[in-house]
Amino acid sequence: MREKNVYAAWFVLQFLLILSFSCRDTFRVVAEGPTILPRSFQNFSREAQVVLSIALAQKLPSGNPVREAVSTYVHVAGIETGYGYFAPNVPGSYVLVFELHYSDGRIEYELPSVSSATAGLRIAGLLDSIGRTPYDALREILVKTLAQSVWRNHPDVESVRATLSSVRLPTVQEFENGKRESYEFLYAYDFSLQDAPAKSNDQ
Amino acid sequence: MQRVRTRLLEFLFAPSTDTWLAVLRVGLGLEVTFYCLSLRNDWTYLLSGTARRLAEALLSLETHFVPRLGWLTSLAAQFGLPEEKVLFVAWFCLFAAGCALLIGFASRVSAIAAWLLHLCAAKSGGFVSYGVDNFMTIGLFYLMWSPLPDRFSFDWRLRGARPKHPELLGFWRRVLQLHLCVIYFFSGLTKCLGNGWWNGSSVWRALIRPPFNIIDPEILVRWNYVFPVAGIFVCLLEITYPFFIWNSQTRKIWLVCICAMHVGIGVTMGMHLFALTMIVLNVAAFGPGLRRMERCTASLQPNRAVS
Repeated sequence: MREKNVYAAWFVLQFLLILSFSCRDTFRVVAEGPTILPRSFQNFSREAQVVLSIALAQKLPSGNPVREAVSTYVHVAGIETGYGYFAPNVPGSYVLVFELHYSDGRIEYELPSVSSATAGLRIAGLLDSIGRTPYDALREILVKTLAQSVWRNHPDVESVRATLSSVRLPTVQEFENGKRESYEFLYAYDFSLQDAPAKSNDQ
Repeated sequence: MQRVRTRLLEFLFAPSTDTWLAVLRVGLGLEVTFYCLSLRNDWTYLLSGTARRLAEALLSLETHFVPRLGWLTSLAAQFGLPEEKVLFVAWFCLFAAGCALLIGFASRVSAIAAWLLHLCAAKSGGFVSYGVDNFMTIGLFYLMWSPLPDRFSFDWRLRGARPKHPELLGFWRRVLQLHLCVIYFFSGLTKCLGNGWWNGSSVWRALIRPPFNIIDPEILVRWNYVFPVAGIFVCLLEITYPFFIWNSQTRKIWLVCICAMHVGIGVTMGMHLFALTMIVLNVAAFGPGLRRMERCTASLQPNRAVS
């Protein structure tokens, strides 16, 4: 009986955490909008999201033992995020094109490539992270990481220009009228053989 | 209060056979094996270098105690082993754990190894992780705590191993069932909040969005009248899942529909691993007991059902 009570207590704690993270992420979705809810819900959701984050110890300073304990448990149990996949609406995607400049003036174009479709899904996730991050330094490091692998495959390249664009998807009506997906330039990074920081040009 | 507590305990510790556990073990074994095979050529590329170190550094801002590949590479570096070799060993051990789970050999150790190594890969590859990694972690986490081995496993049949706490079979199945209910409810709820799922534009966008655009949009556009119906169907199916999956009369319909939805996602968007994971979790949680014979067996006491 005592053992059952221990399991029941763990169950209550586990589901409180699952529900709290799910609610927090749902409030985040509403706060970030746009949703079908009135705009007045946004402020409430923003506050509710903060309250839940505090309750889940996520607002404590990094290194705080309570925060570390909660974070460790939710990560190892796989319950650190909500379940709003492709919600509230399906976001657009991003494309990264490498322009390879050779010493003889030749230019080639290449996309980040992997050998399987499954790995391709992961690269698409990485591009989404690059496109959505508000941190310029993080974006540059991630782009540079991908550029380095291109460089390894083309050691005779003199410089590489990486261009990140967002993909604008047509609606059904636009598609029927002949419009196809279009690309909106976001950022470009120039990398040369010297280990100097990349020159960044953004929109 | 006492009555509520008693009913909660009855609900949580309902008797169950170990069929669901066999489904979960075999399904996750297959999943881990396919996961390894599909990434065998890109494993080092995705999990080495700056991107991994950056993902691990960001993870450390939250917690220092979540297992990661960096621990293994740092340890191996003390002995002069290069990162590539460590990553290959990690891949091979994960693949072996997946195969062992599939046949039920050293079930508990295999489940723990699969959970640990997959978690390391998922956390170290933070930037290249997506939903499937989350659901694999959830499934493997529950699997390693469940009373293994099950009666279909190699351990049971050839080594004569028996679970230490068979009375917990029902408990862990309940946890998985309830977790799935939360997953679908919130997934449906957040979709319902976007107008794209009501007018069908989200279905269209999901199908033409790279890299999920495996069906030619010229073919898709001929079926444009289906998109609003499909969008509303997905929202309603998911949000009502926790209410209809428990009733014996509606369980079969909801289970078949949700599995069909995941097959559809796998076929039309190329998310095969994601589809397999969700089908395995659903079938393990709610599949056994659907047939009349299974229902009779489920009414046995747990220690009889597994002996």
